[in-house]
Amino acid sequence: MKHRILPVLALAAVGAVALSSCGAGTRTENENATTVSCDYTAPEGSTTVNVLAYNSSAIDPFTDTMVSSCSTDSVTLKHDPIDFGGQVTKTTATLAGDTGTYDIIETYGFVIPGFAEEGKLVPLNDLYDKYAADYGLDEISESMREGMSYDGELYALPMQAQMYVMAYRTDVFDDLGLEVPTTFDEMISAAEEIKQAGVMDYPIALPWLATSDVTTSYQAAMNSLGTDFVTADGAVTLDTPEAKQALEAMVALTPYMDPQVTTFDQPKVQQQMFNGTAAMSIMFSGRMVDLTMESNSKLFDSIGFAPAPKVTAGAEYSYNRLSIDGWSIPFNTKLDHDMLFVMMASAVSEDASEASVPAAYPAREGMVTEENSPYGAAANESMATAMPPIVSPIQATVTNEIRPILVQVLGGNISVDEGLAQMQAASERVAG
Amino acid sequence: MKAREFWILFFPSLLVMGALLVLPLVRTVQWSLEQVRYGTPGTFVGFDNFAAALTDVRFGKAVMFTVAVTVVTTVILLVFGYIVANGINRITTSRPLVLGIMLVSYVLPNLVGAVAYSWLFDDNFGGVVNRLIGFFGGTQVLWFTDQVPNAILVTANTVWHMLPFAMLIILAGLQGVPEELKEAARIDGANTFQTHLNVIIPTIRGVLGFVTLITIMDVLRMFDNLIPLSPQAQAIGNESIMMYVYSVAFADGAQQLGLGSAINVLTIILILIMLIPFIRGIFKEAKAER
Repeated sequence: MKHRILPVLALAAVGAVALSSCGAGTRTENENATTVSCDYTAPEGSTTVNVLAYNSSAIDPFTDTMVSSCSTDSVTLKHDPIDFGGQVTKTTATLAGDTGTYDIIETYGFVIPGFAEEGKLVPLNDLYDKYAADYGLDEISESMREGMSYDGELYALPMQAQMYVMAYRTDVFDDLGLEVPTTFDEMISAAEEIKQAGVMDYPIALPWLATSDVTTSYQAAMNSLGTDFVTADGAVTLDTPEAKQALEAMVALTPYMDPQVTTFDQPKVQQQMFNGTAAMSIMFSGRMVDLTMESNSKLFDSIGFAPAPKVTAGAEYSYNRLSIDGWSIPFNTKLDHDMLFVMMASAVSEDASEASVPAAYPAREGMVTEENSPYGAAANESMATAMPPIVSPIQATVTNEIRPILVQVLGGNISVDEGLAQMQAASERVAG
Repeated sequence: MKAREFWILFFPSLLVMGALLVLPLVRTVQWSLEQVRYGTPGTFVGFDNFAAALTDVRFGKAVMFTVAVTVVTTVILLVFGYIVANGINRITTSRPLVLGIMLVSYVLPNLVGAVAYSWLFDDNFGGVVNRLIGFFGGTQVLWFTDQVPNAILVTANTVWHMLPFAMLIILAGLQGVPEELKEAARIDGANTFQTHLNVIIPTIRGVLGFVTLITIMDVLRMFDNLIPLSPQAQAIGNESIMMYVYSVAFADGAQQLGLGSAINVLTIILILIMLIPFIRGIFKEAKAER
């Protein structure tokens, strides 16, 4: 008797664990999500809607609202946790053939031109006009809708935006009597003083991960000086004085940053702020709210927020990237587009957007203020000083080509001039 | 056994192997001669993919790095695996406990173990090793951005992960060494070192060969542990072959499945080359049996 019970118990335990991992729906709990009305005509029989969206404290509120509000007995919304890199790979795979795995996908401004040009996303103008009144879609900022359009057609329904915000240690700055920096030079002087005072060895932390974020930083620096990697016509502009100035500005920051800064993604930069090893950091606004949580760090109440600085005092724009996140319908979904659009619209409704603050900066006008978000004032100011994006379908490809070369320059292995020449040549090769 | 019996027992395995091994292999070779994107049939390009791979400096660096780590890891595993196996061979009552603790690093998924391992060297998460170095007066080592320290880190993690496996196999082999052989050597006046070198190691030659074979095959395909341990592998020249395939075939929205397949075919050829001595040994033994 005794010998049989043990294997049976073991089997039951394994079975229970296996079964508990079944089940549809997102697995992230969220206090920034809510339940809203989601009024669509369900198709006959039971349907599964597969949603692709990466997990982040800024995106989860919208995903979770969609999943919890739009699921019914016959329609199940399925969303599995995934990181950003995974989403990029799965988006490529699902949009490649005539049948895909997902019915609603999260997209962002940077990839819209490329996908739209290739006809991979369903144009949304007609659906937008049909449902705008019911879901108050006209309150979504017009510039954000522009940012997700290509050739006059809307390709994604904006849910939230992210822009660079500076987070800094208020206690360190107060102790040393430092002013909050508004330019790169001011950042360097503040860092110099902090270093001299022996408070920190590397007071500045930026997300410069060699396999992704580093090119976003370079692009932001060039945007501050009023240019980008390419023009709207597809001409590569990495041989311009602005390209050189931006690159030199980045190199000038390196003595004040951790020698291994090219291994830092945004979570690692957050960790630097949590640990107190950096006093200034510039990241996307979606990463700001984590810095204010007591559960993350003892320094949670010593973090202040400021708008993104400019590369030089005379620069027209700030060192900034405006990234708009939104929902798109892939061209190869077999489900009814009206139903999918209603689900997307409900996820960006007014109630959903309000609930997402301060974790996210919703695309609806005037949602974020100084009162309801610790970084609200900084985010609003940052947004106002960001350069309007230059839209070109080859931007993403050029970015991937120049990234390894940029890393070599920042690592001190090749000179700025050599790096620029290589980047220009590599980009022109792929621009075709 | 009778031929019919053989085929009845063998057929299920043959079916599974055909579906999971032969078909993908055929497809890989087919795609290596084509330019392929997701969801569309490929267009034939002959040996263009192979030419592109073989003239790519990045591929050459990846091969050098992977082969170097493989050779160093195999040597360390054989030496340390042997020493530890002998040590464990002597203990009796606490053997299950020691084996259990040692096997944790092998049983842990490669990626999970590598992430935890990376924290030992990362100041962001405590950096225990860095603190020890500082304590003994050494200078700061950049484990993730300097090529040689990073290669040491990756090799150390690979050894940490695979040592229990090597040790376990060698331990099993040691059980098969006849006690009389060791006694005879002792009577003849051999000391411990000579006993090991001239008696025990030749006896477990087959087992050591097997460990070498498996280690070479496994480490040549390394990928998982490089993700957390070498976040800028390409920039410092510490990319493995599989990491290179991943980058060109999938990462960043790339879709060069044909090129990836060609590199896989080249890797298969490389593995076969490195395993020639062992494959020859197996054939020789099979011939001798008959």
